[in-house]
Amino acid sequence: MMGTQAQTFERASAMPAATWRFLGANDAQIEIPAGLSIQAGVKAEGNVRAGGADALDRALADAQAAWEAAHPAPTAAEEAERAAYLAAEADATYGGTALSAYQSGADALEGARSLAKAFEHGVGNEVAAYLRDVAGDCLLVKAENGQAASAEVVVEAASQAISVAAIDVVAEQGSTVDLSIVVDGPGAQPAGIAGTTVRIFAGEGARVNVARTQTLGEGHADIDDMALFAAEGAHIGVRQTVLGASKSFTGLAGDLRGDFAHVSIDTRYLGMGDQERDFNYALRHHGRKTESVMQANGVLAGESSKTLRGTIDLVRGCKGAEGSENETVLLVDEGVHNKTVPVILCNEDDVAGNHGATIGHIRNEQLFYLASRGLSQAAAEAMFASAIVEQAALDADTSAARSAVVRLGERVAPGFAGLFEEEVG
Amino acid sequence: MANDVIITASGKRRTQVDDIDRSLYDFRYEDADAERLEAGLTPDIVREISERKDEPEWMLEHRLRSLEVFNSIAMSDWGPSIEGLDMDNIVTYVKPNTDQKSDWESVPDNIKDTFDRLGIPQAERSYLAGVGAQYDSELVYHSMQESASKMGIVYSGIEEALHGEYAELIREKFMTLIPPTDHKFAALHGAVWSGGSFVYVPRGVKLDFPLQSYFRLNAKGAGQFEHTLIIVEDDADLHFIEGCSAPKYNVANLHAGAVELFIGKRAHLRYSTIENWSKNMYNLNTKRARCDEEGEIEWISGSFGSHVGYLYPMSILAGRKARASFTGITFAGRGQNLDTGCKVVLAAPDTAASVETKGISKDGGIQTFRSSVVATPAASGSKCTVSCQSLMLDDRSRSDTIPAMDIRCKNVDIGHEATIGRIGDDKVFYLMSRGMSEEEARAMIVNGFAEPISKELPLEYAVEMNNLIKLEMEGAIG
Repeated sequence: MMGTQAQTFERASAMPAATWRFLGANDAQIEIPAGLSIQAGVKAEGNVRAGGADALDRALADAQAAWEAAHPAPTAAEEAERAAYLAAEADATYGGTALSAYQSGADALEGARSLAKAFEHGVGNEVAAYLRDVAGDCLLVKAENGQAASAEVVVEAASQAISVAAIDVVAEQGSTVDLSIVVDGPGAQPAGIAGTTVRIFAGEGARVNVARTQTLGEGHADIDDMALFAAEGAHIGVRQTVLGASKSFTGLAGDLRGDFAHVSIDTRYLGMGDQERDFNYALRHHGRKTESVMQANGVLAGESSKTLRGTIDLVRGCKGAEGSENETVLLVDEGVHNKTVPVILCNEDDVAGNHGATIGHIRNEQLFYLASRGLSQAAAEAMFASAIVEQAALDADTSAARSAVVRLGERVAPGFAGLFEEEVG
Repeated sequence: MANDVIITASGKRRTQVDDIDRSLYDFRYEDADAERLEAGLTPDIVREISERKDEPEWMLEHRLRSLEVFNSIAMSDWGPSIEGLDMDNIVTYVKPNTDQKSDWESVPDNIKDTFDRLGIPQAERSYLAGVGAQYDSELVYHSMQESASKMGIVYSGIEEALHGEYAELIREKFMTLIPPTDHKFAALHGAVWSGGSFVYVPRGVKLDFPLQSYFRLNAKGAGQFEHTLIIVEDDADLHFIEGCSAPKYNVANLHAGAVELFIGKRAHLRYSTIENWSKNMYNLNTKRARCDEEGEIEWISGSFGSHVGYLYPMSILAGRKARASFTGITFAGRGQNLDTGCKVVLAAPDTAASVETKGISKDGGIQTFRSSVVATPAASGSKCTVSCQSLMLDDRSRSDTIPAMDIRCKNVDIGHEATIGRIGDDKVFYLMSRGMSEEEARAMIVNGFAEPISKELPLEYAVEMNNLIKLEMEGAIG
């Protein structure tokens, strides 16, 4: 690829079950401008190597074989019995239940019995394929059975360029992988794009922890794509911190296929000026007693906008599964625009699904308390906003991540770096 | 309604909660004497409906414009499939063999018998201030107590009102809350609407007893498109009850009514509905209320029947301190896909809204809770809470929750919570530890699940709902 062609992905980061179009919340539009140079601005350290892009596909194929052995396909007699049942249902219920497009699609996906088809990308398969194409060589972080691996990947944005890292994580049985990703850019720049597309395979009993920190400057767009597969007893934890970029698109889709699999997602974001934030999460519970937890906390200031779509899909057969999602959004200025769509799709009775959202301003009692300590409302609002950045700096698990956060903090709140002086380079 | 104990493939005993006993509703009369227009939807059919009703010119123009809109916009693609609904086979206008009467004795026997069996005349005698009864496309009975008339309340057929002293008011309000461009079936309604009620409650008038309209769709393969327009002036108070039913046929029937409610300053309106259509019905109904300063709308909504249902009553809080509450229950059984919920628009300062819904799905039925809460930049100081609970009674059914919040104002407080699941073993265990049998414990839990909604329903509907969720259970539900 010499440079980018203008391209628009109309329905990127689409949530599985759409709602009213007038809300404009079903999906996102991602635009790739023409003429961006393809930049190799990716640095990787630790247990990571280029190439080996088929390692994850092989792991998934092995998982398919194991899954099929444990979940045999219906016999011809069973299929015939089901067909007869459906025909009788159709006769008895005026043509059968009138499914929505999503419900029909979900039935077809389950009927396909393909782990590869169910291994979806949060920003959509089309955008993910584009990112992988731009990224070129895929980075592989692999931990053998019972081993541990850790890696750090930094994507550095540049003017008039697109910089993307494609990363595959394969954590074999009983292994542990820690991956830190930093997507950073120094200050305001003309239009550019930075991003990552990450595929994660967590084998039986494996643990994978991913922390992604994005501190791009104004003028840049960030595309953060993840696809997860969790086998029996696997734990995947993802922390995504979105602090910079004019536009950010964060998409994560996960298949909790094995029994007792666990996925937790911790999202923190800050929107300032006219920044736009878009998040799309879709976690599908297939295994029994699987568990998912989605937690999002953010602050919107200025005239920033944010859309968060979070879907927990409790597929038939995931008995004992539990899914929960929760979002807290603090609205600091009058010009902000927040959209939240927390969805639970449920096709299994023996489950627990719950979600909650709290959207609003600093409570009066909090303001009163802070005022009694000498803080004006404006100061209190600024404090809540900078707290997001400060927390991100404190939680940063690598020096690269912390430096990037501190640099961004200094840009949005002069003097911020003084809190972390030893980190400013 | 009886509940049977069945043995599942795994040998587990579980209670089969039956569907509503529909024998009360599944009776029908031949409509040989009725006048039916041709099936399908053409400008000529629209003109003929308008001509039969001797409508003013502006209404014909409105109908024809709506038809153009209907033909120009696509079906929605996010809800249950409506492929089984072929508009070419739907008869949009069926006139029963009678004109509107004001005493039951004058109503033809077959129609009177229908409403007798549904208990409408008895309810009128017992506790209602007025009744309207629509049979297919036309009102066949309308009556209001003299005391209500003396208060200045107007309750009549909307077509009748179009020729009376409120004609200009109706023209001013008609389909302004639900414009034909809103969605395809609003456009369809605008083109072929027929029947429905007009209610006007003057300033400061408070009616102690409810008004009720009952809509019965008897004709096979027909649509019902009644329009309800209610204006409650400042400081006035009204409770309006709407009931709907139809016998079952083996072809699709369609209900695409519209309800527009205008609530003045400090006025209050409670709008109670039980949608109990037959299971060949596509219920694509639209309801909207607009509240002025300190006005209040209370929606009580039960959705039980229909093959496919799309129903989301909308509250537009346009005046300072206006309030809305929505209390709803949806029960989806075999062959049903009911997509229900509500919409709230907080469009003025210090408004408040609360939404509480319950959903039950069983026997392969699908129920979806769908909602939107929009807070405009003018909504400073507003609050909204949404609570949605869904209960799955078996693992063949489906229950989805798709809420959305669109907030464009800093100083608001928006909360949302939802849970989906089955009856928790811990709750059953707790109640059993207090001396209950397992059956009693499960019965109490299901009863308690629906109780916050049923207590808000009119008495006879609450009894009907309790019958629906009969609680003689043994073994496990779900």
